[in-house]
Amino acid sequence: MLSRVADSLYWINRYVERAENISRFVEVSEAMALDCPPGSAEPWQPLIDASGDRELFDRLYPGGGATEVVTFLVQAEANPNSVVNCIALARENARQIRDVITTEMWEQINSLYWTLLESDSFWDQPPQEQLREIRRGCQLFYGVTDATLSRDLSWQFSRLGRLIERADKTTRILDVKYFLLLPSPEEVGGVLDELQWISLLRSAGAYQMFRQSQLGVITPKAVAAFLLLDPAFPRSVRYCMERIHETLKLVGGSSVPGAPDDLECLSGLTLARWSYTGIDELISGGLHEAIDALQSDLNNLHGLIHARYFVLPGLAEPVVVSSPDLACAPA
Amino acid sequence: MFTEYRPSKGYDEYFSASEQPRRALQPLLSSLGALGLDELNRNHAAAGMLLKRLGATFRLNDSGNRGGERILPFDPLPRLIDHADWQRLERGLIQRLEAIDLFLADVYGEQRILRDGVIPREDVESSQGWRPQMQGFRPPLGKWCQISGLDLIRDGQGTWRVLEDNLRCPSGVAYFLENRRVMKRMFPSLFAGRTVQPIDSYPSQLLQTLRELAPWTESPRVVLLTPGVFNSAYFEHSYLAQQMGIPLVEGRDLACQDGRVWMRSTSGLEPVDVIYRRIDDDFLDPAVFRANSMLGVRGLMEVYAKGRVAIANAPGTGVADDKLIYAYVPEMVRYYLGEDAIIENVPTYLCSKPDDQAYVLAHLGELVVKAVSEAGGYGMLIGPHADQAEIVEFAEKIRANPRNFIAQPTLELSTVPSLSQGELYPCHVDLRPYVLRGKGAWVTPGGLTRVALKRGSLVVNSSQGGGCKDTWIVEDAPQEVGSC
Repeated sequence: MLSRVADSLYWINRYVERAENISRFVEVSEAMALDCPPGSAEPWQPLIDASGDRELFDRLYPGGGATEVVTFLVQAEANPNSVVNCIALARENARQIRDVITTEMWEQINSLYWTLLESDSFWDQPPQEQLREIRRGCQLFYGVTDATLSRDLSWQFSRLGRLIERADKTTRILDVKYFLLLPSPEEVGGVLDELQWISLLRSAGAYQMFRQSQLGVITPKAVAAFLLLDPAFPRSVRYCMERIHETLKLVGGSSVPGAPDDLECLSGLTLARWSYTGIDELISGGLHEAIDALQSDLNNLHGLIHARYFVLPGLAEPVVVSSPDLACAPA
Repeated sequence: MFTEYRPSKGYDEYFSASEQPRRALQPLLSSLGALGLDELNRNHAAAGMLLKRLGATFRLNDSGNRGGERILPFDPLPRLIDHADWQRLERGLIQRLEAIDLFLADVYGEQRILRDGVIPREDVESSQGWRPQMQGFRPPLGKWCQISGLDLIRDGQGTWRVLEDNLRCPSGVAYFLENRRVMKRMFPSLFAGRTVQPIDSYPSQLLQTLRELAPWTESPRVVLLTPGVFNSAYFEHSYLAQQMGIPLVEGRDLACQDGRVWMRSTSGLEPVDVIYRRIDDDFLDPAVFRANSMLGVRGLMEVYAKGRVAIANAPGTGVADDKLIYAYVPEMVRYYLGEDAIIENVPTYLCSKPDDQAYVLAHLGELVVKAVSEAGGYGMLIGPHADQAEIVEFAEKIRANPRNFIAQPTLELSTVPSLSQGELYPCHVDLRPYVLRGKGAWVTPGGLTRVALKRGSLVVNSSQGGGCKDTWIVEDAPQEVGSC
C-alpha cells in the first residue's frame, strides 16, 4: 500500500471519530443545559477544555458563552477541529484515495459533507437533531466500512486512526468533567449529583452499557473505572489499547519474534499499564496525572506510526522488494 | 411533449426536416411522452444531486476544502445512433488511428513522409507537441496511442466528420460511464422496448490494454499517474483507478532506481511495470522535459528508453493532434494504408499556406478560426458571431503568426432536444468516442456526447457552459417487447 494512502486512511478515521465525539459532547450538553437552573455552572466551558482548543476559542470569542461554544465546536471555519471542518477534512482525504476505499464509503462521507455544506433544511432543524444526524452519519460511515472493506492493510490503518482518536476523546471528556463534578479532590468518591454523572456517561456514549454492567448506584469511581478499564466496552481506554496493540502487530506483519522496536515497546507498555491496574491504584496515584501520561503516550504512538508508515521512504534506505504476485502483497 | 419543439434549421437528430420523428426514435418518443415534461424536469434535478453525491465533480479553482466543485451538467434526453452507422464509424476510427500511429512511428523514425514531401517538415517540427527527444524510439508493441478520444460532429446534412484528434490524455470517459448509470437509475422507463448497447466493459478493456504493454512479466503492476487532487479531471483519475483496481499514484509516490520505476509503499519499494499517465509530456520527467516539473518522476524517461517500464500514451503523440497536422490526416491514411479515409475531415484552411491565408483573411466573417496552440474552446473566432473590431484584431493575430491558425467553415452542428430552462430546445452536440489499442483495437459503443446547453451556442466545452448526454447505440428496427 502507498504510504500516502495509509496516511489518508488513518486520518479519515481520526476525523470522523473526532466529529462523532464532538457532536455527541455538544448534543448531550444541549439537553443538559435545559435542566440547569439559571446561574448554575453551565455545561459549555468544559467542552472547550475537553476539545483542547481553549486558547483558540478565547482568541476568537473572548468571553464567549453557550452560543459561541456551540458555533466554535460545530461550525466555525476558523476552528480546524470543528465538526464541519473535520467532516470536510475526512472527505478531502477520502477524495484523495477514492480508488482504495469502497464506493459506499465514499458516497457516505461525500453525502454527509454536502449535507453540512449546502443543505439549508439541515441547519433549520433544532440543534439536537442536527447533532444526532451528524453522529449517525459518522456511525453509518463505520458501519459501511465494516460491511464493505476487506480486512487488509487499509482496514488496519483505518482502525488505528479510529482507536487512537477514540481513546484520546474518552479520556479528555472524563478528565475535564470528573474534576469539575467533584467539588474538591478530597471528595473523590463522595456525594454526587447523579444527573451530572449520567450526562458524563452519555457524552462518552457509555450510559447504557455502564448501566448494564453495573447493578449498583452510579459512583464517580465506578464511572471512571468503566471508561478507563472496562475490558468489553468499545470506547474504554483499555479496550482501545488492546485493539491498537493487536492492529500494530498485524500491520508490522512479522511472525518471527525479535527485539521489539520503539513502536512495539510503547504500545505494549501502554497496554500493560492500563490492563494490569485497578481504579483505586489509579486514583491514589493521581487520576489526572495518569490521564495526562496516557495522552502523551497516545501522541507518541501517533508520532512513531507516522514516522514508520506514512513518511515516504527515501531511496537511501535498503530496498525491500515485494513481488506483486505474492498473496501477501498489500493491496 | 414535443408540440412546442422546433427543430433547428440544420440537422436535428430526433426529427427530420419535415418535423417527422426519425424512425429509430419512435419507442423513445413514446416513453418520453408517457413520462411527461414535469417528471422529466423533476428527475433531471434529482440526477444532478445524484452526480454530486457520487462525487462526479470537477474543482473550479483552488478553493480549499469547502465547496468550489461543480458537476458537469447532465441532460437526460439521450442521443441515439443507429447501429449500422456506428459500425462504419468504428471502422473509420480504427483506420484513422492506425494511420496516425504509423505517422508517429515514421516522424520519430525514418521520416519517409517528410522526405516524400507529403507533409512539410516545418509544420511537424514547429508543432508544440513535437518531442525531438523521442526520435529513434520504439514504444511497446510498436504503438504510440493506446488511449485516444476523437471528436466527431455531424454537419448540416447529417454527415459525420472528425473535428479533432485527442491523442495525449483525452478526458471525459468517466462521465461517459457515469451518465449511463445515472440514466438507468433515474430514467429506467426510457429504456423500454429496446436494447441499448452496454458500455460497462470499458475499465476491463482499458486494464487489458495496459497490461499488454508489459510483455516482460506475467502479472504487471499497472498504476495511474495523476497530477493530484487539484487537477480538474481528478474525479476521472480516481474513478478509473478504482474501477480497474490499480493504485492511483502521484509523481511523489514513484521513484527511479537501478533501472526500474518503484512505488513507495508501507512495506518499502515495489516495482511498477506500466504507467497510465494523465499528466502532459512536459511534466513527466524533469531530467528530460520541463526541468521545474514537480508532478513527474526524475529518471522516468531513461527507464522507459531501456524498455523497463511502459507509458501510455507514449510521449510525443501530441504532434499528431496538433490542429494543423490534423488537416493532413486524410493524406496519412492514403500514404500509409493506401485507402481513402472512411470518416472525412472538416474542410480546413491552413494559414501557414499563402493561398489559404489570403482566403481566410478575406472571409473571416464566415469562418471559424482556431488557434492551434489553444484548447477548450479558447482562442477561437466564430466569424458569424463576431463584430468588426474582433475580426480586425484576429486578422492582425493571423498575420503575425500564421502557423498558429487554421480556419474552417462555420458548421451547423447537428442538434438534439435538450432541457433548457425547463423546456425542450434544440442544442448543438458533438461526440467523443474512445479508442483503445493494445494488441487489438476496441472502440467504446458510442462515446461522450457533449452538448452546448447555452441556447444557440456552438461551443460544447465544459469550461464554456457545455454539458453532456448519454449516447445510445441502437438497432434501427425496434425490437418486439419480450424478445430479449
